[in-house]
Amino acid sequence: MVSFILRRIGIMVLTALCLTFIVFWLTNLFPNLEKLAKTQGNFRMSDDAVLSYLGNNGYLQPLPVKYGQWLGVLPGYVIAGTDGQMRARCATGGQDIVDAARFCGILQGNWGYSTVFREDAGSIIATRLGLTGKLMFWVMLVMVPGALIIGVMAGMNEGSRTDRSLSTVSILSTATPEYVSGVVFISVFGTATFGMQWFKGTATAAMDDANFENFFLPVLTIALYGMGYIARMTRASMTEVMTAQYIRTARLKGVAFSQIVLRHALRNALIAPFTVIMLQFPFLLNGVVIVETLFNYKGFGWTLVQAASNNDIELLLGVSIVSVFVVLTTQLISDIGYVFLNPRIRIA
Amino acid sequence: MTKHDQSLHPIALQYAQDEKAGKLSRREFMARTTAIGVSVTAAYGLLGLAAPARANAHMQQGGTVRMQMEVRAVKEPRAFDWPQITYVTAGWLEYLVEYNNDGTFQPMLLESWDVNDNATTYVLNVRQGVTWNDGTPFTAQDVARNIAGWCDTTVEGNSMAARFSAIINPETGQALDGAIEVIDDHTVQLNLPAPDITLIAGMSDYPAAITPAGFNPDTMLENPVGTGPYLPETVEVGIKATLVRNENHDWWGYAAGKGAYLDRIEYIDYGTDPSAWVAAAAADEVDIIYETVGDFVDIFNSIGFEESSVASSSTICIRPNQRAEIDGVRPYADKRVRQAIAMAVDNAVCLELGYAGRGEVARNQHVGPMHPAWADVPAMPHDPARALELLQEAGMADFEMDLISIDDDWRKNTTDAVAAQLRDAGFNVKRTVIPGATFWGDWTEYPFSSTDWNHRPIDTQTLGLAYRSGEAWNESGFANAEFDALLAEANAIPDADSRRVVMQRLQEIMTDEGVTLQPYWRTIYRHAKPGFVGWDMNIAYLPHIYKIGIAA
Repeated sequence: MVSFILRRIGIMVLTALCLTFIVFWLTNLFPNLEKLAKTQGNFRMSDDAVLSYLGNNGYLQPLPVKYGQWLGVLPGYVIAGTDGQMRARCATGGQDIVDAARFCGILQGNWGYSTVFREDAGSIIATRLGLTGKLMFWVMLVMVPGALIIGVMAGMNEGSRTDRSLSTVSILSTATPEYVSGVVFISVFGTATFGMQWFKGTATAAMDDANFENFFLPVLTIALYGMGYIARMTRASMTEVMTAQYIRTARLKGVAFSQIVLRHALRNALIAPFTVIMLQFPFLLNGVVIVETLFNYKGFGWTLVQAASNNDIELLLGVSIVSVFVVLTTQLISDIGYVFLNPRIRIA
Repeated sequence: MTKHDQSLHPIALQYAQDEKAGKLSRREFMARTTAIGVSVTAAYGLLGLAAPARANAHMQQGGTVRMQMEVRAVKEPRAFDWPQITYVTAGWLEYLVEYNNDGTFQPMLLESWDVNDNATTYVLNVRQGVTWNDGTPFTAQDVARNIAGWCDTTVEGNSMAARFSAIINPETGQALDGAIEVIDDHTVQLNLPAPDITLIAGMSDYPAAITPAGFNPDTMLENPVGTGPYLPETVEVGIKATLVRNENHDWWGYAAGKGAYLDRIEYIDYGTDPSAWVAAAAADEVDIIYETVGDFVDIFNSIGFEESSVASSSTICIRPNQRAEIDGVRPYADKRVRQAIAMAVDNAVCLELGYAGRGEVARNQHVGPMHPAWADVPAMPHDPARALELLQEAGMADFEMDLISIDDDWRKNTTDAVAAQLRDAGFNVKRTVIPGATFWGDWTEYPFSSTDWNHRPIDTQTLGLAYRSGEAWNESGFANAEFDALLAEANAIPDADSRRVVMQRLQEIMTDEGVTLQPYWRTIYRHAKPGFVGWDMNIAYLPHIYKIGIAA
């Protein structure tokens, strides 16, 4: 078990390294750097000024060197600028170059500086991730019980009228992407057009003070999309269990139907959905990008959009690391949890 | 030289006669007379009218207002490229002069000013009793230092330098020796080598914020020294900015009855999509919309918001860049190509499709009837057939034009309307839409793109900022010696009627050279929830935030 977890963590580090290197390479392509220089310095810089800005700020070093500095395995640059000023990667906020640390990369806990928000990238990610965490928590709270109830109800009696209607609902909800359902919800429930202005069509205020009125629509938009999928998986697993020999035996013994479902079928039927629920986390990260932008909820997904569209190198790298961590951790949890739920599976 | 509180500037009397004779509109009259130092009350007096009283008796003291607005990073004020930035900084960084919708220039940190007859000497009387919020008094030295700073062309992105080019030494890139003279603690005199009529207007523009000695843009939020009534509490780019009343500062405006009624002003960023603003308004999360555009004017009216509108010279320019090089050729350097573009596009269609008809059709000259010395120069005729001929003559019929715009409502729609008309005329056009976050990275460099331009009070101002050779904001890459010479000549004529002769020639050059497509003048709108006062849309988007209050 321990060696399995260690191996998984090893894979996680390797994936993070590969992914960040690709992001690093793409954001450091020269046209992107040029754009960065112009937004940072001045909208109408001459080409010479762009080059001297990039040179002075260490952007023109060879790619592996820059990547090493960002990682913290190579010492941060100290460059004598063309304007005669000394600049060091590790000397920020007016710190003296002599006092600055030699290494200041991600390994030293330095996430870098966001050029768009003019703030420490680490603290931006922490705040924004907290907000997305809040959103995800409520999504899970709505989605998981809802999906399980629908799936179990549909799977109890395969082919019944309940099954058909619930299955249609789940397929519909999964087939409707967030950017469609979100817009529909905003126009129906967020405006007075249909006389049903029950909720708020924007979640900006929910960042400080979330309540049912301003938070329900974004939560519902993400939850509905995932709900149908999990419900279908639960239904499939439930119908399979319901045809098993021991269920037939229980029925023949005259056990009440509700007892069969709750006592005998449910635990076995929930093994497969558990994995699916854990795998939903990465998909949720996907969904928040759209929903946060749509509802103006300034969380992790919104930060990703801003960082990517402004070529904010260090913020984008930070976002990538967090994403890799979330995806691989949930997979690890799902693998380990599977072992506990299903005694037939062993992890070497 | 005359002192305006004793006797009137002689030109003012001439203007008053012109106004009576119908040669001047009232707004033009107010703009011109107050620019040469006549007080607003005296200017209204010349017309035999009483100055309108500000309705501040109906304000409550205190309260919070929430305004939908893009929150942008603050930076060096001289390099401000968005009025939205100043809605935040105006809390503590104030202006010498304020420009109002009726065309008047009101003194703020100046008490009054005098301009001599041929606009070569400006005497600026600095307001007494103003202090910085760190306790030091505000003096003539501060004014002189700021004007010298505006003249410093070595500061990257300093657009104030274009407004003060009259007193800049082109060799040193700094203010001319002796141009800025401190007479005493409260008087500054500007000595111009040649007349310039636009300096007071320049001082009212949004990058002209007055900064303290030792100002450092990097720490302006941590150390907000200024003269204004508010302090920044938080500024989170793209999210929210908050101003709160500076309780430890005796703002000069309290004694002058200027207001600053609110205790707290919040700017909340809802992105660039206006439908998100409607959602925010419907959810009662904002009280004021920074600017409403296009169809959203009707939508905001329909949800019960109050409308404020003002006819302005704000506009959009869809300009080819004459310096732009594509695959080794400069397609738009050829005058025939530019003329072809102008001929192929019907400006009325752009107004209808791009801005829902909320404005006036313009003539690609970037000077309009709202300007004092506008000349009635006809537009280039709309002739798509001739346009295609010209394009073929220039050998550019196969060239694919990439027409770039920002991703928003009216700017995108107008640019789409242009592209569609060009295609109808037989041009080969591709459209590129760039998101707002990246569009402004190099807006002056795009080969063919659209840009919105704000209102400016005096006819020669925009021409100087946008079309003089080598200016920072010269996005069309236009460089024409005759144009530059005529512009300098026009800038030396304070009298609008005499200036009109030169303006006529300037406007003819703009038309004939096909410098830009400038299809319409916009009426600009702002909306607010009922119950607020003093939030009216400013004709030049200036941040008069101290006027906003909650109705009693």
